[in-house]
Amino acid sequence: MVRADRNIRNKSIYAVKNKMYLLLLLVPGLAVLVLFTFYPIIKMTVMSFFNWKIGFSQTSEFVGLKNYIDVFTDPIARTALVNTLYYALITVPAQMALGLLAALLIYGIKKFSLSFRLLYYLPVITSWVVVALLFRYIFSNQGLLNYIITDVLHISDKPVGWLSTRWPALTATTILGIWKGIGWNMVVFLAALQAIPLELFEAASIDGANSAQRFFYVTLPCIKGTILFALVMLFIGAFNTFTPINVITGGNPAHQTEVVLTWMYFQTFGTVGKMGYSAALSVIISLIVSVIAVILFRVIKPENSGGRL
Amino acid sequence: MKSAGRFNYRYIILIAGLVIMVFPMIYMVTSSLRPNNQTFTYPPKIFPKLSEITFENYAYVLVRQNFFMYLKNTLIVAVMSTFLSALLSSMLAYCISRHRFPGRNLLFGTIITIMLIPGLAMLVPQFELAVAFKLINKLWGVILFYTAWTIPFSTFLIKGYIDGIPKELDEAIYMDGGSILTVFFRVIIPMASPSLAAVSVFNFLYPFEELGWSQTILKIDAKRTLPVAITQFFQAHNRTDWGYVFAMTCLAMIPVIVIYLLLQKYFVSGLSTGAIKM
Repeated sequence: MVRADRNIRNKSIYAVKNKMYLLLLLVPGLAVLVLFTFYPIIKMTVMSFFNWKIGFSQTSEFVGLKNYIDVFTDPIARTALVNTLYYALITVPAQMALGLLAALLIYGIKKFSLSFRLLYYLPVITSWVVVALLFRYIFSNQGLLNYIITDVLHISDKPVGWLSTRWPALTATTILGIWKGIGWNMVVFLAALQAIPLELFEAASIDGANSAQRFFYVTLPCIKGTILFALVMLFIGAFNTFTPINVITGGNPAHQTEVVLTWMYFQTFGTVGKMGYSAALSVIISLIVSVIAVILFRVIKPENSGGRL
Repeated sequence: MKSAGRFNYRYIILIAGLVIMVFPMIYMVTSSLRPNNQTFTYPPKIFPKLSEITFENYAYVLVRQNFFMYLKNTLIVAVMSTFLSALLSSMLAYCISRHRFPGRNLLFGTIITIMLIPGLAMLVPQFELAVAFKLINKLWGVILFYTAWTIPFSTFLIKGYIDGIPKELDEAIYMDGGSILTVFFRVIIPMASPSLAAVSVFNFLYPFEELGWSQTILKIDAKRTLPVAITQFFQAHNRTDWGYVFAMTCLAMIPVIVIYLLLQKYFVSGLSTGAIKM
């Protein structure tokens, strides 16, 4: 009995000690998160309802929904949003399709598989600043691409002003986005393909399925979860696009090539410093990304993908 | 499945793809080896003549520009933010995965939601914070925010990994009178180290990549990281001195490629655990 008593007391001391350790483990991470992300998110939402001024001497006045109305009636904000969507809707499916193709091809070979993987992944690890500068060089008026178009292939007589007008400049950025993203998708899909049990393919072959049928009835359903993962990550990534536009066009000409983040950056630190406006724009971007993510999760339910992948 | 001896058609497509993937990189290297004043001649030349090859661009960047200072800054930011992020994320992930405490589900839900919000979208309030904490022109101003931005995804990935570690290992430590700290350091950290390595390689490369926040915080030359320095250098040289610019970008790629080649299995494992967990 005495022994049991002591055990209980020891246990409660032990439990208290463990609670303190739990706090010790939780608090540092929580503190960083709260201070540098939770608090800014709340602050950003508050700011979006004010004509916000940076600095202590100035007072910020409450303006209600004015910033949101400004964003929705601002033609450049609309241009930036359309440009972002254009970028997302082209780069996301294109790099997924090409990345999946590369993964399927590499899955089917035996020799040099590692070399291909390493080299296809090279653009992914290369900094955006570097590849954006490189593409700016290749797409410049006197650049390599125009040389190929005019003097090698003779498709056009005069050089295309790739970076000086809206859609060609966006297209150049989009090509960059696809080129840089293929390797990431290749690695992700290759991992998913390697996780599919070989018996499934054998069973399908025995049942007389050809390679197209095997792809649509075995491979695709098995990698559904991975497709969802890639879709969500890439959509978030597309809305995060800042560096390539910043480096390649800087939003020019006349803000025609801005994406949402570069436009927000300009509104914050450009000549005007409209903090409230940028905050409202940030809230809108965050809501759009969240809604897209939720819709994607609802449309492709990973639990229906036929077993845990 | 494949008949032996027949050439696998896949190689043809893969090599064609490889040319597209690698060619721009090769073009960058060859352009950096040409005299700076010849990089914009028309028609453009892909390969310089052997007699034209020069390393003067590299000499200029290494001697006249503070390349090694930028590299040092970038490495300091990378090491510190990677270490902090790995430590704090694994602590959070362990608590969320193994222990019940009030607000646990709320915390995990919030972490997942934050992954959806672009880091730069919180620019204005974060900039105010950086001003208030006197972090402008300090490497800490970049380190702390990178840590905060990488914690959610790292925690998510590491938590998924810890979920798969058998609980019997914890029990054995508790039987020996160990505390949850003992479990964390003796079981969780060693067992979860592959996932820690996987998130760390990505977090380590982030400072070599990120431009928006670093160019906002690091305004003086002595504190610039490589992405900021390259962008500034490009703008300061009338956007035309491509020989110098490419010498700088090629040099900046070397540490990244070295890390990638040494740790490439962790790149794959990091991506695939994320992809397959979903």
